[in-house]
Amino acid sequence: MEMVVVAPPAPGRLENLKRRFFATPLQALLSLISLAIMAFIVWKLLDWAVFSAVFTTSGGPEACQAAAGACWSVIAARWRIILFGLYPFEEQWRSALACVAVVVMTALSCIPAFWTGRRIALVWGAGTTLYYLLMKGGVLGLLYVGEEAWGGLALTLFIFITTCLIGFPLAICLALLRRSELPWISRTTGIVIDGVRSLPLISILFTFAIVLPFALPQWLVGDKLYRVIFGSALFFSAYQAEIVRGGMQGVPAGQEEAAMALGMSYWQRIGRILLPQAMRNALPATINQFVISFKETSLVVIVGFFEILASGNAAYGTGEWRFAYVEVYAFIAFIYFVFVFSLSRYGAFLERRMAVGER
Amino acid sequence: MTANSTKPHRPAVRLENLDKYYGTFHALRKVNLSVERGERIVVCGPSGSGKSTMIRCINRLEQHNGGKITVLGTELNDDVANIEGIRREVGMVFQHFNLFPHMTVMENCMIAPMIVRKRPRAEAEATARQYLQKVRIPEQAMKFPGQLSGGQQQRVAIARALCMRPQVMLFDEPTSALDPEMISEVLDVMVTLASEGMTMICVTHEMGFARRVADRVIFMDGGEIVEEAPPEEFFTASRNERTRQFLSQVLGH
Amino acid sequence: MVSLLRNQKVRNALLQVLYVGSLAALVLAGIVIARRNLAEQGITSGFDFLYKSTGWDVNFSLLPATANDPYWWFFLIGIINTLFLGSVGLVLATLVGTIVGLARTSSNELAQLLGRTYVDIFRNIPLILQVFFWYAIITHLPTPRAAHEALGMFLTSRGLYVPFPNVGGIAFAAAILAVIAAIALPIWIGRTSRLSQPFGERLGIQLAAAATALTTAAVILALGRLPDLPLLDFPALQGLNLKGGLRIPPEFSALAIAIAIYGGSYIAEIVRGGFKAVGKGQMEAALSLGLSPWRVFTLVRLPLALRAMLPILANQYVWLMKATTMGIAVGFTDFFMIVALTINHSGQTLEAIGILMAGFLAINLSLAAVFNRINKAIALKGNQLRG
Ligand SMILES: Nc1ncnc2c1ncn2[C@@H]1O[C@H](COP(=O)(O)OP(=O)(O)OP(=O)(O)O)[C@@H](O)[C@H]1O
Ligand SMILES: [Mg+2]
Repeated sequence: MEMVVVAPPAPGRLENLKRRFFATPLQALLSLISLAIMAFIVWKLLDWAVFSAVFTTSGGPEACQAAAGACWSVIAARWRIILFGLYPFEEQWRSALACVAVVVMTALSCIPAFWTGRRIALVWGAGTTLYYLLMKGGVLGLLYVGEEAWGGLALTLFIFITTCLIGFPLAICLALLRRSELPWISRTTGIVIDGVRSLPLISILFTFAIVLPFALPQWLVGDKLYRVIFGSALFFSAYQAEIVRGGMQGVPAGQEEAAMALGMSYWQRIGRILLPQAMRNALPATINQFVISFKETSLVVIVGFFEILASGNAAYGTGEWRFAYVEVYAFIAFIYFVFVFSLSRYGAFLERRMAVGER
Repeated sequence: MTANSTKPHRPAVRLENLDKYYGTFHALRKVNLSVERGERIVVCGPSGSGKSTMIRCINRLEQHNGGKITVLGTELNDDVANIEGIRREVGMVFQHFNLFPHMTVMENCMIAPMIVRKRPRAEAEATARQYLQKVRIPEQAMKFPGQLSGGQQQRVAIARALCMRPQVMLFDEPTSALDPEMISEVLDVMVTLASEGMTMICVTHEMGFARRVADRVIFMDGGEIVEEAPPEEFFTASRNERTRQFLSQVLGH
Repeated sequence: MVSLLRNQKVRNALLQVLYVGSLAALVLAGIVIARRNLAEQGITSGFDFLYKSTGWDVNFSLLPATANDPYWWFFLIGIINTLFLGSVGLVLATLVGTIVGLARTSSNELAQLLGRTYVDIFRNIPLILQVFFWYAIITHLPTPRAAHEALGMFLTSRGLYVPFPNVGGIAFAAAILAVIAAIALPIWIGRTSRLSQPFGERLGIQLAAAATALTTAAVILALGRLPDLPLLDFPALQGLNLKGGLRIPPEFSALAIAIAIYGGSYIAEIVRGGFKAVGKGQMEAALSLGLSPWRVFTLVRLPLALRAMLPILANQYVWLMKATTMGIAVGFTDFFMIVALTINHSGQTLEAIGILMAGFLAINLSLAAVFNRINKAIALKGNQLRG
């Protein structure tokens, strides 16, 4: 017997292209418009950023300004101030190392093996301590550098991690108080959370930086940096508390009942049964909140800190680089983009993975 | 547990004139019940009659509003120490298993002995193995609850409760969320447990089980105990109209 | 005593009293200390300062403002500036978001890619950086003398100059309301009349409503025009500066552009989510009824997607309103900046912060109320629907 296999004719590449992008006149029009927009932007961007750009500092600002494209020499000349602010020049390696410590710490916390309360606390505790020792010095023969000299990307990262470090436990406390069975406790906490959430972050930062010293006894006023960090942590925790509470509502009531029936105390139930499950439910939203919070640390520039945006303004704002603002902002935008984009991609990946895991 | 051990007669569980309200809804009306040590009670009755409410009051998953509950000689009142003490001595098995999904079977069984009874890890592990053996699933110890069948999960839930070495076990419809072919494997475990002299209060509609192991069958309706009798009498010579109607429905199909 | 502490009811009562009490004490202590500190600086607390004149000026206002005006007038100006910038940003962001979101949901892969790139880039760069960027761009534009000109508009480092009708303030506001009505009325008529009404009849009513509203606007403008001046006032170069027309200051434009672009990237995602939430079954059902793709879109897909989007969109709008506080970064006198300036100049710290909180609470609550109304009006009736 002879088998006759009739294979459909394989579509040619051209055929395929036509089917995907030019199926109907409307589709064709859409494709053409999109293609034109893309080509225009890509060409303009490449021309500005690469072909007509100046990369070396050799010609000085004048040659750079004369060029048709981007003047990347400003970055080559000023990257230190953007990344490290006014940190003493010879000590800037410490600032760099501290930034690396933060990045490593963040990367480690993305690994599921570290997702137990104790391990994550350990990673963050160690990372933050390392950062603080490196930056501040005064021990191990490192030169002492006070907080007022910290700046640039290093300061931005510091504000972000301390915001999370204070804000996260605070958020869990608020969420627990919010879901308390005792009506006065849950109601009062609800008012606090909703109150903070209804205010813009800038107004909270402003209040903590400038107004709070009036309302605190002298010994409690402390450094402006830490007051602002606390304000930002409070804001973070009000949002995160609602996320954690959502996660807790996703844990069936039977879980707590079973724990009660086994004789566990309130804190044992919370720590061993409720929170581990709630945090897992809340993970994608939590990462999203981290992303938002990282972007929002940039707002401290308004209450007068020399973080990456302010140091960027300073990098082009004085003297001969005045014209090169687009390049400086593009550089800072790129730094933010790398951090924020990778974190939010990771969040999206986790969300997909968990959605599959549930089935 | 406390001072009145001098009294010769001390029932395991005693409910006196128990009242329970959900808002304005009167869920338990003056319920009286006394369960001796080693006694096996089966509770049945139509849906919404207050069976779950009653046994959940015994370990204070629900708070009663009137009357008196005494468990193993300790009165269940607002005293926090009493509540925790009683919960340690009373095990419970739920309709929907309520296993902790983020822990392995082994961890499910070990956690309460370790953190509530403060037993060392090795001992807790040995106890867990022993009881997993007893419910006939020692080979599943390292799996997560989500990877087990319903019947297996419910047997783990029983083992988990037993690991606390409770003196009284409460069962709230342990088989009604299971497919028919899994019911018997759970019931077998419960029968074994009964034969070893455990004090048991079971809410169940498994009348065969009631006939085989119950010392007394209790029929509830509208928040009241309507009838209370040994199984032979209950199934054959029930005096109450509502009981007979219920039985014809349960047994008839 | 010990046994009393072990009692659950006593414990619960004690915990509640302790918690609420300590929170109240904290707030009270803060207020008392602040009042004492402020009194030492010679600042008397109370709201009397609201009636004093400020002694400073604002750089942007829709209402007439001078340094002689009292504080309460400035707070009002601030709120109106915030609402104005917020609404302009909201409309622009919605426009951008809808276009990008539609591109992302379209069946064309190239359009999808374009939309996705937009969202990925602009969502991941902080808003304030974008505000700084646009502000720098605008303030580095040529001076008025060397400005670009097109259609009677000038694009300069001092802002955008556009022609403006020579019309009294109130008449102009009324005309704007009439124009809004010209857009809103036909939509409202379209929404309230059901499909079962004949199509031609509905269209007629809609057109008539729009025409009436537009005519009203024209009449108001004609009546309210200032005598002896041309109807349109064109900006023109006089010496080193531009005179006439309306100047849109760089602070406002930078904020509006940044909010439109950044907010647009978020709204695009909301739009996409809304369309994704519409079940395939509904669309297949509509197609199988023989409806044309366009009518499936307008009659089934769009209305259902809108319902899914609205609650999230409401949150986003509230966020947008709060984002106007970035104004202080470039010196736009929004509500928050007025509060900050008040604290600087008058020292009435507690009162100003109180007004700030009350203001934002009011904005949030009224936005929430509006959206709740809309939500309720368009919610699918009944709860018996499946999938
Ligand atoms: N948390 C609650 N709030 C209000 N009413 C409740 C609550 N729990 C139970 N009830 C009501 O109390 C009554 C008794 O409920 P219970 O759960 O004890 O019944 P049951 O006998 O266990 O029924 P089933 O066989 O369906 O489990 C029912 O009418 C129920 O509606
Ligand atoms: Mg029940």
